[in-house]
Order: sequence, then structure tokens, then C-alpha cells
Amino acid sequence: MTISVWRYSHLALAVSSFLFIALASVTGIILSFQPVTEKIQPYNTGNIDQLNLAQVLPVLKDNFTDISELSVDANQFVLVNGTGKDGKSGQYYVNPETGKPLARVAEKNAFFQWVTTLHRSLFLHETGRFFVGLTSSLLLLIAISGTILIVQRQRSFKRFFAKIARDNFAQYYHVVLGRLLLVPILIIAITGTFLSLKRFDWIKEKKLVHQIDFDKLRSKPVLKLADFKVFNQISLSAVQSIDFPFSEDVEDYFLLKLSDREMTINQLTGDVLTEKTYDRATLWNNLSLDLHTGRTHVIWALVLAVAAGNILFFIYSGFVMTLRRRASRVKNKWNADACEFILLVGSENGATFSFASSIYQQLIKNGKTAYLTELNNYQAFSKAKHFLVFTATYGLGEAPANATKVKQLITEIEQPNAIDFSVVGFGSHAYPDFCKFAHELNNLLSQQPWASPLLEIHTVNDKSPVEFSNWANTWSQKHDLQLTLLPNVIDQRPIRMKTFTVVEKTKSVQDEAAFLIRLSSKSNRGFTSGDLLAIYPANDHRERLYSIGKVNGGIQLSVKLHPGGLGSEYLHHMGVGETLQAGIVSNRHFHFPKQGKTVIMISNGTGIAPFLGMLDQNTKGRACHLYCGFRSKKSFELYEAQILENTEAKKLSRISVAYSREGERQYVKDLLARDADFIYSTLQGGGVIMICGALAMQNNVISLLDELCQQNENRGISHYQSSGQILMDCY
Amino acid sequence: MNNFYKICLVLALLISKPFSSSAQTSKYKCMVQMSNYMGEGAYIVVSLVDSKGAYEKTLYVMGSDKKWYKNLKEWHKFYSKKPTNISAITGASVSGGDRSVTVLEIEDAKINKGYTLRFETSVEDKIYNVKDLEIPLTTEGLSAKTEGKGYIRYVRFSPN
Repeated sequence: MTISVWRYSHLALAVSSFLFIALASVTGIILSFQPVTEKIQPYNTGNIDQLNLAQVLPVLKDNFTDISELSVDANQFVLVNGTGKDGKSGQYYVNPETGKPLARVAEKNAFFQWVTTLHRSLFLHETGRFFVGLTSSLLLLIAISGTILIVQRQRSFKRFFAKIARDNFAQYYHVVLGRLLLVPILIIAITGTFLSLKRFDWIKEKKLVHQIDFDKLRSKPVLKLADFKVFNQISLSAVQSIDFPFSEDVEDYFLLKLSDREMTINQLTGDVLTEKTYDRATLWNNLSLDLHTGRTHVIWALVLAVAAGNILFFIYSGFVMTLRRRASRVKNKWNADACEFILLVGSENGATFSFASSIYQQLIKNGKTAYLTELNNYQAFSKAKHFLVFTATYGLGEAPANATKVKQLITEIEQPNAIDFSVVGFGSHAYPDFCKFAHELNNLLSQQPWASPLLEIHTVNDKSPVEFSNWANTWSQKHDLQLTLLPNVIDQRPIRMKTFTVVEKTKSVQDEAAFLIRLSSKSNRGFTSGDLLAIYPANDHRERLYSIGKVNGGIQLSVKLHPGGLGSEYLHHMGVGETLQAGIVSNRHFHFPKQGKTVIMISNGTGIAPFLGMLDQNTKGRACHLYCGFRSKKSFELYEAQILENTEAKKLSRISVAYSREGERQYVKDLLARDADFIYSTLQGGGVIMICGALAMQNNVISLLDELCQQNENRGISHYQSSGQILMDCY
Repeated sequence: MNNFYKICLVLALLISKPFSSSAQTSKYKCMVQMSNYMGEGAYIVVSLVDSKGAYEKTLYVMGSDKKWYKNLKEWHKFYSKKPTNISAITGASVSGGDRSVTVLEIEDAKINKGYTLRFETSVEDKIYNVKDLEIPLTTEGLSAKTEGKGYIRYVRFSPN
């Protein structure tokens, strides 16, 4: 984050003036269309730079009985104020070549005039003018401090237009558009400030006074206007206006107001009587008006409209950024070294912070000592027992801005205590590297001797409150915490409870004491293999989740009996025919892949449960390879019949079983190492690996796969994890 | 036949009525030259004032935004009591140092009868001049150059 005195002044200036700036921008956008509407009128003959006054003035005199003034406006329309041949006087647009009047000048558009007044003085006269002037000078300061911020962000002047890192919509476009429209906005601000200063006489404009020596006026020789030497030299395009002599008296004269000077001309002889150039203030004033109003050029007027529109966007995006930053600010109640729970956040713009801080507040409420900090502040935490890592992924699977150093820190700094951790990745499936950095951190932490995963990695797609609360629930169950969850982040839908009847129970007799239980509801709909069944054995907040295998249309759970275990004891005591209340939790990320080729299923112990269901549902005969680990042949017996059935029905292509307490004393990972070539070619060919079982097994398998990938393609497994080719559901 | 003549007479009266009441008027070119004051454009109203100083008619208004009219206090009292359509005799306000040439239409019958042309001026956030300039409505008055006291430097007339 770019923090400096410039950011604070940028913010302070913006906050103090945004209402006025917004008003000026809106009215400015409207007013920029005034030149557009004016210029589409058909009074521009397009040739005023080819005509000189000696050509124009005589034909005008022929077409009007009397002329008091000729002027050329910003649209290059030629206007005459005088009396026409029909005796009517007023202001007319004329064709300068023929001298013919084209139309009477209409009254100025009342709407634009109203908006102009609002833009200039907010209907508050002098006071309003002062505020508007102040606002435009503040805008100037905002533009300057913004420029400096861009230079700081880009780290040098030379890289001013180099690529900008994209964090989020508001921030990215605030910067990109900021530097793109810097010039028009600076011009608007400078000219606006100048016009105000001039209006309040801080910049003095000297009015020209023509002192004519009437005694020296010549009245001979009388020339025709077409023969005036000076009129032959001046192009109509250089003229702002010409005051015609009021009467035919020699003391009345032509007053020419040109773009840079004024001249008085004897109306009889064409002598130049006086000639005075405008002072600089007047010239700057005209330039400022041209630039500020866009009155001379439609394209510039439209550029101004876009720039003014962008000022509105800057106000919006600036506030979004500020509010986001403020929302993510957390004041820690405890010191880092006093805390048991450490929340580490990797966030680019603060969105992830708000998720983390909601957990932080819940922990504090529950009387726990918790410390929330950025990932880059990773250090040895002397009392820490639990790490919670919340991280976004930035760009192409890289670390977010405040987590760039954390990987190195984790490998270098050893924690004094054994730590269990849980990683939550935030990201969007819209990008190919979904939560890649989170996966990397999770893998890295798993490899640390002092760290053990409490849960497998959870990912949250597009800030989904449901996915986040799924994680929060599971995590809090592990700690037996009751998180009255997070009203600001989460609107968790309560799980719909259904009645299930026990239809079959298969007990295993050996030491491992696992059992299969089949349940059936009325409809048996709304779930598939890989979803979770939530039961509340004590009818309180304590929830137990079991992975569902959909077998023969009903639910089959594989449960390991823990002596004194809340959930397993409860299910163990259920007899056939008894009913229980339970809810289905959809677990989309662990469904059997709809597409793709080969599926490799890896499990240990009761983790085989969802795979049994998936195999049963595999009616299309997709290639499925099952690697499962058990303690002994006896514990595998519980499933053997079903496996056999599936193999015969060609639903299962191949099965490899590892026994950890018998024979070769293998683990699942050893089987995978044996078949490494097959595993890797499956991954490379777009196949999917599904893992279900204990977290320790998952870690072993992932680190094996990681090694495999590193060897073969020089990048880690996180690439496949983020592309959804590795599906995990472990506990 | 009698009836026909009566109808003709009534029609003739009806038609001739508006014409007979509209008096002979003449047009005068009027140039207002402003002094070099600082500030916004001046609102100037030219009124026909009778010998007792009472407003009789508005001849010209330089300045088109009605919200400033109340700043021309004395004239506004008269105008708000008897509002007339002045859109045809309204022009732009005049800035310091500029000149403005307008055409005034004055009834011949009013000339040399003790009437006065009053130029009343007002500038936003600056003082108001009820009699920036007054010209006796006489043949001589309409041919001379008259100096103003406020924002107006001088006014000149010439027959149009």
C-alpha cells in the first residue's frame, strides 16, 4: 500500500471539497454540451479566414441601413447588431461574404444559463463564486498530490505510463484514468482557478483606453471602406468585434477589437488613430475561457465532459478505496506474544481483512486471546497454538501486496510451539489461478515440522458468505467454539432438517471398529455422493458431518467408532428402523467430476465412503482407479463385497489396497509412489484426483504429488489444485 | 340599407380604433458608453418619466435575467405594479468599458413636453444608481452627448 503524507493530503483535500467538486462536475458535464449544441447551428460559413475586412464591411453596409457592431463568436459565427433593410433592429447572424442576414440571434438557452449560474456561483452570488473558486484551487491541489502519488506508486517519473498492477476495480481505474485524464483535469483546475482569481481582482486586467487627439483628425482624403489599407490587412478571423462609428461625424471612429490588440480607425480616411495591445492578463483570461468552456472546439468540449465525468468517478472510487481501507483496520486487543490464536491475512485491498476481522472479533468475544496481522508480519509467536491464514491471490497466482515475504519467513522462522493451522483461500473462479497462493501457503505450512493442519484448505469463491461460513463452522466445531456467526459477513441459511430412517447397519468386529450405516428419507432426493450429512447428536450447536456415499439411491455412511465420540456413539446405537433428524450440506467441490477423463480416488480408512457411492453411481463406466489404505485386511472386509460388485459391473477399473499394520506395512502414498508415472500422466492428461480421509494422509499425498510435479515440469502441485484437478475432502 | 350602413360604421370604428390610438413614434439610436468599472455587467433600464418624476413607460432594458430586476428598485416598483411585455425591448447587460447601441422608440407627442429619459443602473453586489443619467426629452437633449454619474460614462442619441 502506498502510504505517505501525499495520500493523506490527497484524501483530506478530496473529503473537504467533494460535494462542491461533484456539483461542479455534474454542471460542467452539462455545460460542455453547450458548445456542441451551438456549433451544430448552420451559421458557420467556414471562410472567415479567407475574408478581410475590406471585403466584408462594404457588403454588410449595403445590406443593413445601420450597423452598430459586428462580432465573431467562438463558433466562428459572424453577428451584426444593427437595423436591417426592413427597418427592424436587433442582432443577426450574417453571411460575411454576401452580407445577407441569415437569422435573428435567438435568446440564450435559459437552461444552460441557469446551469452556468449554478456552476459559477451556486446561486449564492459573491459567496458562491468564492466557494467555487476555492473548490477549483482545491481540485488543482488534489490533481497535483494525485500526480505525486502516481509517481510514488510507479516508483519513478519514467515509469509514469508503465503498466499498473490491478488490485480491484475502484483502485485500478482510479489510477489508470487518473493519469490518463491528468492533463485535462489540471487544465480545468488551473483555468477555473485563474478565472476566479481574475473575478476577485487578484489578477488585474487593465482596460484599454484610447486617447484620441481630436484636433489632429483628418477628414480628407475620403476613401471607400474597400480601399482602407488597414482593412485590407486584417482577416475577419482575427476579429473579436468591431464597434462601428456611432454617427458620420469624423470624431466617431471604428473600434476594432482583435485577438491580441485594439485599434481605432478614422471612418473617413482609414487612418489608424491609436493601436494598443492587450495586457497579458486579458490574453490569459481569453485562453482560460476557451480552455475551461471548450467554446472554441467541439472535441475539446467533449474531452472536458469526459474529464468532468471522471472526476465523479474519482469521487466514487476514492471513497470506495478509503472505506475499504478503514473497514479492514483492526486494533489488536492483545500483544502478539500473548495470543494463542494468530490470524494472518494476505490481502490486496482489504476485502479479505473484513472476513478475518469478523473471526477475530468472535474469538475475542469467546474469551480467547487472538492477534490479527498481515502475513508479512509473520514472526515467532511465543504463545501461539493455532494459526488461521486468510489470503487472497494476486495477479498470476502471486502473493498479495502484504504477503510477499511470508514464504521466506515461514521457512526461516520456526515456531516455538506445535501449531495447528487452517488456511482459507479467497479468490474467484473467473481467473485461472484460483486461490493458488493459498494452496502454496497451505502446502508450505504442511511441510513445517512444527505445524499440523487442523482442517484441509478451504476456498471461498467470489467472497461467498456461505462458503466462508462452511469453513467457520467446521473450524469452530474443531475448537468447540460457538461462533454466533458474523452478522456482517454471513447470512447463513439454516440447514433444512429431514427425517431419515436406518435401513441397514453393518458392524465390523475387529479392532478398528468401523461400521457402515444406511439411511433413507422419504424422497431420497437432494443429495449425491460427496455431500455431507449433518447430525446434531445432542440437539445443540454441536454438529457432526459425515461424507455421504449414495448407494442404491439411499445414504451410506462409513463411520469410525471413537469410544466416547459424540457422533459415532450416537449412530452406533441406532437400530434398524429407528429414525433421526439430519440435514444435507451440499459439498459441491467434492462431487464426482461431470466431465474429464480418468478419476483417481485416494482414501484411507472410512474416507472410502463417498467413493463407494460415486462408484455405485458411475453407470457410464468412466475409468476410476481407487487407492485406499486400511490398517488390516479385516478392516477392508467391511467394504469388500461392494468393491467386488463395482468391479464386476465395470464401474471400477482397478483397486490398490495398502495395509499399514500387516504384510508390507504400506501406506496409500507408497502405492502412489509405485504408480507415479501413471498418476502424473493422468494429471497431465486432464484427469482428476480425489482425496478423502485423514488430513495427515492428505498432506503426505499432496507433498508426494508436489514432488512429482516439481520433477516433471518445474512447478508445484498448486497449479493443478487451483485448476480444480485435485479435489480434497479431509478431516 | 340603413342596417348595412350601421354595420359598416361599427366595423369601421372597430378597425380604426387601434390605429387612431397608436400615436406617431420615431426611432432613435442610443449609444451607452460605460466607464471602466470592475465587476459584472451592468443592468440598465431606460424609462420615460413625466414632469412629476413618475414612471410612465419602459423604453429599454439592458439585461435579460429577470432575477436581477428587483435590484433596479424604483423602476421595479413601477414595473411590478404594471407589468408589461418587455421581451421586444430587452437586450444584453453591458460590461465596464463597453458600449451598447440600441434603438429606442419614442412617441413624438412626448418630446418637448417636460418628460425625461431616465437611465437607471445596477451591478451585482455594487451600488445602485436610480439616476445614473437623466436626459430631458427635448430636441436638444436628443442631439447632445450626456455624461453619466455612475457606471455610464456618457449617452449619445442620433435619429435612426
